[in-house]
Amino acid sequence: MLIADSTGRIVLANTPSEALFGYTRAELLALSVESLIPPRFRADHVTQRQGYAAHPGSRLMGGGLELYGLRKGGSEFAADVSLSPLDDGYVLATVHDITRRKRAEEALAGQSARLAAIVETAVDAIITIDERGIVDSFNPAAERLFGYAPAEVLGKNISVLMPPPYREAHDGYLAHYLATGEKRVIGLGREVVAQRKDGTTFPMLLAVSEMRVGNRRMFTGIVHDITLRKQAEERQVRLIHELESANEELKSFAYVVSHDLKAPLRAIGSLADWISTDQSEKLDAEGKEHLRLLIQRTRRMDSLIDGILQYSRVGRVREAVVVVDVNEIVKEALAMLAPPPHIRIEVAPNLPTVRAERTRILQLFQNLLSNAIKYLDKPEGLIRVDCVGHDREWEFSVSDNGPGIETRHFKRIFQLFQTLAPKDRVESTGVGLSLVKKIVEMYDGRVWIESQPGAGSTFFFTLPRGGTNQQEQLH
Amino acid sequence: MKTTCKTIMLVEDDEVDAMTVRRALKELHVNNPLARAENGEEALAYLRQPGQIMPCLILLDLNMPVMGGIEFLQVAKRDAALKRIPVVVLTTSEEQQDKVASFDLGAAGYIRKPVDYRQFVEAVRAIDTYWTLSELPQ
Repeated sequence: MLIADSTGRIVLANTPSEALFGYTRAELLALSVESLIPPRFRADHVTQRQGYAAHPGSRLMGGGLELYGLRKGGSEFAADVSLSPLDDGYVLATVHDITRRKRAEEALAGQSARLAAIVETAVDAIITIDERGIVDSFNPAAERLFGYAPAEVLGKNISVLMPPPYREAHDGYLAHYLATGEKRVIGLGREVVAQRKDGTTFPMLLAVSEMRVGNRRMFTGIVHDITLRKQAEERQVRLIHELESANEELKSFAYVVSHDLKAPLRAIGSLADWISTDQSEKLDAEGKEHLRLLIQRTRRMDSLIDGILQYSRVGRVREAVVVVDVNEIVKEALAMLAPPPHIRIEVAPNLPTVRAERTRILQLFQNLLSNAIKYLDKPEGLIRVDCVGHDREWEFSVSDNGPGIETRHFKRIFQLFQTLAPKDRVESTGVGLSLVKKIVEMYDGRVWIESQPGAGSTFFFTLPRGGTNQQEQLH
Repeated sequence: MKTTCKTIMLVEDDEVDAMTVRRALKELHVNNPLARAENGEEALAYLRQPGQIMPCLILLDLNMPVMGGIEFLQVAKRDAALKRIPVVVLTTSEEQQDKVASFDLGAAGYIRKPVDYRQFVEAVRAIDTYWTLSELPQ
């Protein structure tokens, strides 16, 4: 607080003014008020002071202008100054440092500018409406998306951005919400259809939030164009469908073809048999041998077709998933295969039970044991069936002391129709191990081989403990 | 066959399969006359001729044009005049659903046609042996 006389000389200064300006009281009393404002305002101030002297009255100094004070050290501060006239031309000036308020104002202005910039530059359309549905703001992304200039929609009902029948219904939705507070879109995201200025429509994801500005209720809608996503989704659905039908076709193809191949094959077999019987006297030894080979090949093709049928049946024909006792399965498989007396079969006691289709588990052991028996080349054969329990799976193994398989063939033997021995030496279709692989993998297991050429092979496969994923499919 | 004078009916579209059955029967000295129809519809027409003497056995293929074996069974087993004729299905199909449908519809047997002729003869021999032993209603 300062008091100056009509010439602007300071005649009284209180303690806070010493702190505010950085002068001692004695120093202040030697100064004019112009010394306390930055030089650039001084000339004007003299004029204004004289004007004030002519028309004194209590008022704020500056009339809305930004005022600054000057400290002893030369630094400036934003100030509010109020003036009150005293007797004899003296003026009381109350000076407030408003630096802090100024900073807050500036910060607020900066923040609003940033918020505005976010809305202006957002990729998504942002539209606000009032509680009657009248558009209050429309950002540039909304202009681009809907094709309207802000002037064309501001003050209009938001429903112009919707195609019928939503257009007609929107006022109702809004009224319903305001009346009941029941939220259908507000606070949630929803996929809806929007309409552009040119009448075309597009799918969008709409998120609506509610806000209160003063005593007004406003709604902000953020609109994200999901045309591309929708197209991608539709494409994906179509592709999956195509894939499913192609797969379905492939599955039944193997079955149908195999069936239809059998009839002509049977005819060839029969006719060859009859020629060799009926024309026996007319045929020479070579002719008879050719017919024998012909009949043998029809049998081979017959087992090939049976193999394809078996292979295509896994996963196509579903049996009930039951608790299968592997001890019984191994016994049954061995009874069917009837191994010759020179082969000793050791089966580990207490094999576990698994939940699976019984036929498939039987096929696993049947094929692995059949291979072990078929290829055994030692005078004293030994085949061993074993099982090790792990945390989540059972690891079964069938090992033999047969000829073994070279490492380079490990992959090949599990492929359909791949065999290692010439077909004339060992009748084999090349289906067995691929069938084993298909069954094991259907149950989320793995199959592999360890082998030493000359010393024998061990085939391993795993099955999940306590059930297979097929279980869930069935129940 | 129990009665050697009664007809055996063969419902089969494949020429060579029909020849095979014929030949196998001949080889086994089964002297019953053989009536052949190429599909279910033809077979029904034959069986429903006025005054027709019913065959003692029907050998039925499943996969045939016009009317297949399962359809034939559906009709024949609902026909009071035909339902007691034993029908043995002789087919390529080893599908579970075909077996189930055949027996549900009252088939007396289900035999897969072997590709090997010698085995085919054995299958026909088994059929003959069984229907020589089995009694039939008059």
